[in-house]
Amino acid sequence: MKLKLPEYILSPWRTISSPSRYLSLGFLTLGGFAAGVMFWGGFNTALEATNTEAFCISCHEMESNVYEELKQTIHFTNRSGVRATCPDCHVPHEWTDKIARKMQASKEVWGKIFGTINTRDKFVAMRRELAEHEWARLKANNSLECRNCHSPESMDITKQGARAARAHEEFLFTGQRTCIDCHKGIAHQLPNMEGVPPGWSDAASGKDAAHSSKASLAHWLAETEDSGPAAQAR
Amino acid sequence: MLDRRDFIKAQAVATAAAAGGISVPAFAQSSMVAGEDAQLKWSKAPCRFCGTGCGVMVATKDNRVVATHGDMQAEVNRGLNCVKGYFLSKIMYGQDRLTQPLMRMRDGKYHKEGEFYPVSWDQAFDEMARQWKRILKEKGPDAVGMFGSGQWTIWEGYAASKLMRAGFRTNNLDPNARHCMASAAVSFIRTFGMDEPMGCYDDFEHADAFVLWGSNMAEMHPILWTRVTDRRLAHKHVKVAVLSTFEHRSYELADIPMTFHPGTDLVILNFIANHIIQTGRVNREFVEKHCNFRMGQKDIGYGLRPEHVLEVRAANAKEAAASTPSSFEEFARFVSDYTVEKASEVSGVPKERLLALAELYADPKTKVMSLWTMGFNQHVRGVWANHMVYNIHLLTGKISEPGNSPFSLTGQPSACGTAREVGTFAHRLPADMQVANPEHRKYVEKGWKLPPGLLPSKIGYHAVLMDRMLKDGKLNAFWIMVNNNLQAAPNSDNETYQGYRNPNNFIVVSDAYPTVTASAADLILPAAMWVEKEGAYGNAERRTHFWHQLVTAPGEARSDLWQLMEFSKRFTTDEVWPKETLDANPDYRGKTLFDVLFKNGNVDRYPLSEINPDYENREAKAFGFYVQKGLFEEYAEFGRGHGHDLAPFDTYHQVRGLRWPVVEGKETLWRYREGLDPYVKAGEGVKFYGNPDGKAVLFAFPYEPPAESPDKEFDLWLVTGRVLEHWHSGSMTMRVPELYKAMPMALCFMHPDDAKARGLRRGSEVKVVSRRGEMITRVETRGRNKPPRGVVFVPWFDSARLINKVTLDATDPISKQTDFKKCAVKIVAA
Amino acid sequence: MRSYMLVALAALPCLVPALLSAQGTGPARVDSPFRPPVQFTDEAPAPQIPADVTNDRRVARNYPDQPPVIPHNIRDYQVSLNNNQCLTCHSRKYVEGSQAPMISITHYIDRDGQTLGAVAPRRYFCTQCHVPQTTAQPLVPNTFQDVDSLITRPSDGGDRK
Repeated sequence: MKLKLPEYILSPWRTISSPSRYLSLGFLTLGGFAAGVMFWGGFNTALEATNTEAFCISCHEMESNVYEELKQTIHFTNRSGVRATCPDCHVPHEWTDKIARKMQASKEVWGKIFGTINTRDKFVAMRRELAEHEWARLKANNSLECRNCHSPESMDITKQGARAARAHEEFLFTGQRTCIDCHKGIAHQLPNMEGVPPGWSDAASGKDAAHSSKASLAHWLAETEDSGPAAQAR
Repeated sequence: MLDRRDFIKAQAVATAAAAGGISVPAFAQSSMVAGEDAQLKWSKAPCRFCGTGCGVMVATKDNRVVATHGDMQAEVNRGLNCVKGYFLSKIMYGQDRLTQPLMRMRDGKYHKEGEFYPVSWDQAFDEMARQWKRILKEKGPDAVGMFGSGQWTIWEGYAASKLMRAGFRTNNLDPNARHCMASAAVSFIRTFGMDEPMGCYDDFEHADAFVLWGSNMAEMHPILWTRVTDRRLAHKHVKVAVLSTFEHRSYELADIPMTFHPGTDLVILNFIANHIIQTGRVNREFVEKHCNFRMGQKDIGYGLRPEHVLEVRAANAKEAAASTPSSFEEFARFVSDYTVEKASEVSGVPKERLLALAELYADPKTKVMSLWTMGFNQHVRGVWANHMVYNIHLLTGKISEPGNSPFSLTGQPSACGTAREVGTFAHRLPADMQVANPEHRKYVEKGWKLPPGLLPSKIGYHAVLMDRMLKDGKLNAFWIMVNNNLQAAPNSDNETYQGYRNPNNFIVVSDAYPTVTASAADLILPAAMWVEKEGAYGNAERRTHFWHQLVTAPGEARSDLWQLMEFSKRFTTDEVWPKETLDANPDYRGKTLFDVLFKNGNVDRYPLSEINPDYENREAKAFGFYVQKGLFEEYAEFGRGHGHDLAPFDTYHQVRGLRWPVVEGKETLWRYREGLDPYVKAGEGVKFYGNPDGKAVLFAFPYEPPAESPDKEFDLWLVTGRVLEHWHSGSMTMRVPELYKAMPMALCFMHPDDAKARGLRRGSEVKVVSRRGEMITRVETRGRNKPPRGVVFVPWFDSARLINKVTLDATDPISKQTDFKKCAVKIVAA
Repeated sequence: MRSYMLVALAALPCLVPALLSAQGTGPARVDSPFRPPVQFTDEAPAPQIPADVTNDRRVARNYPDQPPVIPHNIRDYQVSLNNNQCLTCHSRKYVEGSQAPMISITHYIDRDGQTLGAVAPRRYFCTQCHVPQTTAQPLVPNTFQDVDSLITRPSDGGDRK
């Protein structure tokens, strides 16, 4: 059975599907090119507009949570006044990666529409999951967005604190670790860090990943009830 | 001429040089010191700083304190101290200790505009007595006054109370504790008929939830915070709720953090009461058996000078404390307006957090401890706020049992022990007795072995009123002891300082260091401090704690107790008591005040032989009897058998403090409940025996706005307060290098957006300006305190930058306690 | 000449005690040493916020019981219900890698005197006792003497004149 399409759809289709009777090939080529440039320019402009901090913090979820936290940190206020904006760290600079990240961001639009993190409490409850996405992304790309500004080759370790210099020599310059391994929570508050050992420790390299306790802070503190060996001993 | 910047620079250089000169290069010594050389003498003492009352162990060698640490045996802190406590060893050794009396003189004689010259104690007291006598003769007892402290030892406060009330016959005696917890003290008496908490610190180990109402315990009561932290982190069901007008360190432990608009805590409290009622969680049986209801007075003004427009406009400023009988039904109707929507809208706290908070109180299975300090007490409606928190504990019956505890924390080491229990307020006598009650005065006259009718009935000037009366020239002879009121008092440029430098007034300051208050005095008396004298403090959980004199004070510095008693020798009863009293009681004629107040057969009852031979006791040696014991035992008699029982004097030198009432050698942890409190008889269950009918009172109060709110010109809230490293105006802690270097200056904490909007940034030099005055400091946008937009926080410990020139002298009209937390300022580039 | 006067004037607060002990001589200034010599009603300019000491050098303790001060920057270090960043270097488990001093054994003892297998929760908030230092120079020297200096010098009976 053949589906009969209504005239109001067929008519425009005929117009654009048949060869031009009135316009020159040159006009069409050049015009098409111009339209393409305009379209592409528009797309890119729109895309770039979404890559500004002003766009990011036009959502109150971003403004009153992560951006508010950023203001306290060294990536916002520091000696030289060079500061990182949201996209500097969170949007890849390479085009393909950027488009991929933008496609992922469509999920965040859903989040916005459905109010997934529209209160502070909801945001805090999801913080670990959200942070893990960023940690994983930066781990996978070898902390690319960090390195856009911080190049190990340009680091003068004699200008760094003794502790920092040693850690960089041992872990960063040797490639044993990448920036995000150690520098979590530098621009925002940390989520519950249960099971996330310090980046430079053996545990972080997977040699000692045995963290069995599920309780918060159990990795630091003695347990006095509910679980843990101390309680069982009593 | 050199300018100020040059001066500051040069001063830094000079000090560094001086400090450098002092440090002696280490020379070769054996690395192992053993035997007698390494022996230290360890003795117990309470910490000198806050009302927590931690126990410390103090090591002395060669008449110097050489080390301190937390006392493992002290119940309060079990071995811990905060950073201030750990540096106690150094507080007595600031190089500028006052070691001689100093008097303003010109041409060898006292002169108000003269410069300070060292004088002997005799010269100092001669001039002081001459001024006192002249003023008493010209104007009568209302023109003399004393401003004391919750840092006085128990016997110092008690001796001061005797000297002022019975000696000079005036109740113009008030402690700086008026600035600190008067609202709490007044509300305790209005609600329970007795002052001080029913619970104790053991509640920390029993509660399921902690609610901080205007208290930054993480910085101000760090050791109690360790107990909250311990409970919260070790027991997963425990919740911590923190309410404040700006984010601070206590938020680090908060499950429910809540930043509300200044003054709107009243709305939140009434909402919780309403929530409890609306969800049917009132403990009906408890309320019917143990509670009365009263309707409070509204529109009560702001404790400003009576001619201030806000006072003239207020309907009930003169009868602020009045109330009328009411009922549960009326109370329920009254609070029914306070819905979660309204509370959220007025306070700015999200609804879900308000509901979570309300559930901590409403849920009968959750044991909840409410904690508060200056956020509640330094509040133009501080008494109301205190009542409102009792309301929610009483509605649910969550009171007087382990873990269920409305608990008022205190700021000074003996705010409870000296200011409240001894009764050094303008309206109080020992053991909760009142100046205005003729029966109470009679009882005290008898205890003090004084002629009947001697004690004055007129309530004296309270702290802020004293400053006003000094300025107005009605209070002329004024003695300030152990406090730095010129730095601490509100609106100090216009009120306090004007009063001190009023040519009609003679101002005496007893202190260990040259504070700004001392510099503005006419006579400075050098004081012994802390373990340079035998002492006793009472902490916030009713714990009385003693210490011995461990080292001697430098130079001619003497304890406040010695100063008070020695000064009393310079007056005879004929000079200061009314003729008719002496005519009717001729035995008292021709005696000095020392004879009638301190050599009265009570105070001088204990001979020197009763002193522990291991310790010095300068005062006892000076007067020839064990003064501290005599004063303590005379004082303790007032409370024994009346719910304030104190143990025998000597017991306190053995133990790490005891919580009163101490009955048959046993301290009381929770009051008003059968089985826990010996004053509640079998079968009574719960009895609030401070009130004649044994019931506690719930008061209904509305929300009323603060005295001054930001407007177009003065567009920010100013909140003042303290920091972890400094206490008591910084007079001691700023002289400990480690504490000074940790927090060297008072900064203006503000939101980065507020700074940006004014073209400012972290480090910008700014003026904090109000309608009353200004101070100059620098902006801090990322420190430990994070105010929301519209609020700035400035601490008051820094004598180089006096924020109290800016604050407003509005008080709670009932408690007369200043509101240091709410006034309007603008911030401009300096 | 001028700078001499400046230094002399600036040294006044330090010299006050010296002046006082020289009995009966000239007048003594008792301005609060923290305030430059200005009237109470005047306010002096505010110095810069001093920088943090970040040299990583350990500072001698005044007595064994004193908590050591923090010789490094702690800006943005988070200690909260979520995490304790101090312990990422100073806990027993990680000091080998970090080469930071391990927290004291006392920090494993709970309120009841029991030694636990990990840090006692009551010790969780480090900065209650351990504070960083700024480069601000104390305006009043402190004459506290540690026990070693008392052992190695002749006794003066605690004379502080």
